[in-house]
Order: sequence, then structure tokens, then C-alpha cells
Amino acid sequence: MRGALGFAWLTLVRQPARAALGILGVAAVGALLFDMLLLSNGLVISMGRLLDRTGYDVRVSATDLGPNLGPLIPEARDVARAIAALPSVRSAVTLRIADARISTSESDRIFAVIQGTEAGAGRPWTLLRGREPQTPRELVLDEEGAERLSAQPGATVNVGASCTQGEDALPVLPFVVVGVVEFPFEDVGSYGAGVTARGLGEACGGTDIEAAHLILITSAGDPSAAVRDIHRLRPDLVAATNAQVLSRIQQGGFTYFRQISTVLSTVTLSFALLLITVLLTVSVNQRLGEIAALRALGFSARRVVADVFWESVLIVGIGGLLSLPFGGALAVWLDTILKRIPGIPADVHFFVFEPRALVIHSSLLAATAIMAALYPMRIVARLPIAATLRHEVIS
Amino acid sequence: VLPLVLLFVLAATSASAQEPPLPQILVARQLAEAEGLEVGDVVELSADGPAAPLKGAPYNSASGAPYKFQVAGIYEPTPDPARLGEVPREVRLHLPDLLRLTREPSTPEGAEHVEGINLALVDPNDARQFARDVANRMPGVNARRAVDAAGASGPFLVLERFHLAIAIVTIVAATMFLLALTIMLVDERRETVGVLRLIGLSVRRILVQVLLEGLLIATAGALFGLVLAVASESLINQFFQWRYDTALVFVRVTPSVAAKCIAIAVPLGAAATVLASWALMRRSGLRLARR
Repeated sequence: MRGALGFAWLTLVRQPARAALGILGVAAVGALLFDMLLLSNGLVISMGRLLDRTGYDVRVSATDLGPNLGPLIPEARDVARAIAALPSVRSAVTLRIADARISTSESDRIFAVIQGTEAGAGRPWTLLRGREPQTPRELVLDEEGAERLSAQPGATVNVGASCTQGEDALPVLPFVVVGVVEFPFEDVGSYGAGVTARGLGEACGGTDIEAAHLILITSAGDPSAAVRDIHRLRPDLVAATNAQVLSRIQQGGFTYFRQISTVLSTVTLSFALLLITVLLTVSVNQRLGEIAALRALGFSARRVVADVFWESVLIVGIGGLLSLPFGGALAVWLDTILKRIPGIPADVHFFVFEPRALVIHSSLLAATAIMAALYPMRIVARLPIAATLRHEVIS
Repeated sequence: VLPLVLLFVLAATSASAQEPPLPQILVARQLAEAEGLEVGDVVELSADGPAAPLKGAPYNSASGAPYKFQVAGIYEPTPDPARLGEVPREVRLHLPDLLRLTREPSTPEGAEHVEGINLALVDPNDARQFARDVANRMPGVNARRAVDAAGASGPFLVLERFHLAIAIVTIVAATMFLLALTIMLVDERRETVGVLRLIGLSVRRILVQVLLEGLLIATAGALFGLVLAVASESLINQFFQWRYDTALVFVRVTPSVAAKCIAIAVPLGAAATVLASWALMRRSGLRLARR
């Protein structure tokens, strides 16, 4: 085997331009294949990590529509308390979401998503500076919003909330910025703010002050048991574990990326298979006289077939190895492009590395190397030695 | 008529002819199929979810009480790539019916709001000026051109950029393979080129011949690729339309796309041939013919 591998290596380095171009071609195709494998599950993995990072493992809403699309859960604070009392639940916090225009002056204003949660409870954001809002007129801003408005902790901002699907003319209320936070689900290029549930209720005109879009639950260890208990307690509400939320995402619009990943992977592999086969076949056809001479010198058919096989393995193997860094760089570029889709949280990525992708990538390339070598191996195995040598001499 | 996502509470039986006529709605095809709805069926709609149904509420159902409608027709919703894979749970109803359905008890009739008003201008070129006039005369009302309202960074545009990036990588990979193959093919013709040089043909003359040959092969290849794309266009669309139950068109080989493909593939193929031949041409005829 070592002899055949060495011979294949010498064949490649004898024609460096040809070999280098073949390897670079495989690297480019391999990079695309690697990226498609990262894309096939990337969004779901990334969203799963994000959901887990928030610390809540069950979400309760009035319907199975999106968090700010469905109707409010009335008296959500009482509902949250009842849920928190369940043995399978550790804690429950209400969350209401609205749009808001936040300004410091006529010219300095931002349109932000504002979230309201109960004071003192766990928050669906991460505090970076300052402190959490404790009173109804205190507010936290994300880093981008604070920078855009030049509103660091201590500043006062005016908030005009919009709490229905349409435009509504609600009074503008002053809020004191008490902290700067990070929202895990914030979209790229958007702004976010957080207040107490009462603060948002008042900004929303004082109606449905106890209502919320979501109740975020931390289970006692078994999210499925928590969902069952919540369903028994309030069958009119929809409770879902993170896994169920992910399953909905998988069945939803983002399956498009899985489909396109499958289609492109198939096309890419077929393309690579075809071209490597042609490359090896032409190469073998050019060396028929040489191979016949080797056979005449005593090389077995098995040995010359092994040479062709190892040549294919070397081209695909080196190209495949190079494809990993190429693919990584390409994934960063493609991720930047796709993250411009509206509504994608900044921390969610389309291309996420997982060991499984590497295993599949290697297996597919290995299979391609073997299949691409089959036809040229057959040519070499069936090569008539005497006739080929005679033809070489005559021509 | 205004499109709105509402919650189906109950699908009832066909309307009786003796009852007063019910207000009519159109139901999205996918929703009709999912719920088994047909033209003439009576459904109950409420503007609120099941979390807080207020039984016994008056005609106004903003508080959750259902209200009966008759299905007048089934319609195909405008495909939306952002909602691919979702069953469009949409119905369309006349605006007065919708306002009655969603009006808060405290809101007097005629004081409801709408999200937007679509306008058709006499001269569409006046759209920018019209938007400026509205902004000046009616503070708080935001007028935008339909093109601007669609958003420059919409999913369509992003997906187009993504596909372009994939296409660039594919072209790079194809170019590598093409160069490798042409180098091998040119190498195979080393002797022929040597003989041509020895009988007096100039390097320029042979390169022109190689270029023409490359152009012919590249054109034939590009045309074959286009035929393959056109032939597979319908298959790809049918598969994805079936998969997502949508009327969205996923692949369309337009004349501009075809022209772009030809414009890239033909010069690339010809250039690869000339580039691969160039190294060979620099050697002397004797050296080439000797082999």
C-alpha cells in the first residue's frame, strides 16, 4: 500500500499544475459541501443554544402564534403565580412585548421592541451595566440604543408605546434609564428596551396592565412534566418546551435552508464526482503506454489499479483537507449575507459547526474518491499489455 | 377587503336558506384544506384567542365572542417567502365587518383605525412628491412608495445575494476543474501543435485557432447548461411548491439570467483554453514535436 501511495504521489507531483488545479477544484467544491452541511442544521442548533441560554425551558402563550403575534394572556401575573406553585416548576415570569418610539429629543429617536417583566423576577435579558428596573418609570436599553440616544444610566428618555398590531396614539411617558442590557433574541440592526410589567402596562394606556404575551418557565428539571402540569392547570393555554419550539421552527419557514442545503450538496457532489472521474480518466488515458510498460516490467494489475485509486484518494484527500479552512471562511461570509434577513436574532447563526457535519463531509468525500476512481481503475485493470505497447511503438 | 389572520373557533354546517344572509368571507386555500371548509360553509370568527372568551358578549367580539360568517370563496394567498412552510391561516373579509368584529365596546362606530391605505396615483412618478406632501400636511401619517415599503433588505434580496455567493463559489470550483482539464487536453495535443509550428504556422495563428475552438466548446457547453436549467426549472418548482404547499416560484430562468450565464461561461471557457495553451506555445516546435 505504501508503495502504491508513494507512486501515486510521484504521479501527481510530476504534473504539479494539473494536480494543484484538481486539488483546488476539490477544495472549492468541498468547501461548498461543508457549508451546506453546516447550513442544514445550523439555524436549529443555534436557536436551540439561544433558547437554552435564556435559562427558561418552557414557554406558555395564549395561542401557538409567535410571541408578539398572539393575543395577550389576561391576568398573567396570577396565572404565573399559579404555575410557579406547581411542583414541576421552579419559577415563572411574565413577558409582554410592544413596539415603542424612544426619544431624548425631536431628532434623537429610535424605534425599539420594548419588553415588560415583573420587577424582582428573573429577566429575559442580561445586565451589562447599571441595574435592573425596579419601579414603573425605570428602563433598561440595549447597547446600540443607549449609544444611538446617548442615554447612559441616569438619563431620561420619552417612550411612546404601540401595543396593538396597528398604530395607536398612546401618551408619551418619561422613563429613567437605569441600565444597559443585552437581549438574546434581538434582531440585527434593531433596538431593544426593558421595563417592569407595570411600566409597560402604563405605557400601553393602563389597560390590560396584568396581561402578558408569554409566561417564561424554568422547570424543576423535567420540562415535559412541567408542560403536562401546566396543561392540566390551564388547558386553554399553550405550553411548549424548548424542544417543541425548535420542532416548530424546523417545520416552519426555515426548512427552506435545509432543502436548499440538500439540493446543493447533491449537485456539488455530483459535480465533484463527474469532474474527478474525467480528470482521472484523461490522466490514465494519457499514461496507458506507461502503465502497460509497468505491467510488462512485472507490476501486477492489482498494483497499477491501486496506483489509480491512491491518486484519486490523494486529490480528494488533500482537497478535502483544504476545504475545511476554505469552508470556514466561506461560512462566515455566507452567514453575514443571510443574517440580513429581517427578523433574525443577532446571536443566531445559519452555519454552525457540529462534529456530525465533519463526519458526513469526510464520508461523502471518501465515497466520491472511491466512486470517481472506479472507471479509470477498470480501464487500467483491463488494459491489454502487448496491444497497448505495440500501439505506443507504432504511433 | 383587508387580509387578516384570525382564529377559527368553530366550523359549522351549511347556512340555511331561511336565515338572513350572513356577512361573507374568503378563506385561504391552505386553511380551507386543513379545516375541510367549502364555499357556503358557515364559520365563527372571533378577534381574540381562546384565553379569555367572554360568553354572552354583544355583536362586537373584540372581547372574544364569536361571530358567524359564510364562506363565499377560497383564494390563493400571495406567496410570502418569510412564511414558507406555514399554513396561511388567513381569511379576508369586508372592512366594515372586520371593524365591527374588532371594535372595542368603548370605541364609537366610525372612530376605528386602519393600518394603511393603498393608493393608486394618477401619475406613479409623483409618488415621492406625494409622500413628501402627506408628511408635511398630515404629521403622524407616513406615506411611502410601494417599492420603499417592501424594504430594501427583504428576504428576497437577501436570498438573491446568498444564491449569488453560492454561484461565485461554484464558478471558482468549475474554473479550477476546467483549467486542469484543458491543461491535460492541450498536453495531449502537444505533438500536433509542434508539427503545426514546424510547418510554419505562427504562435498567434495557433492561439487564434485554440481560442475559436475554446469559444465553440464553451458556447456549446453553456447552451447545454441552459437547456438543462430550463428543463429542470419546472421540476424544481413543482417539487418545492408541493413540499411547501405554496404558489411561490422558486426557480425562473429569465432571459437576463440566461444572458448572464452565457456572458460568464463562454469567456471563461475560452480564456481557460487559451491560458492552458499559452505555456505550450512558449516552447519551440522541435521540442514539442520531439516529445
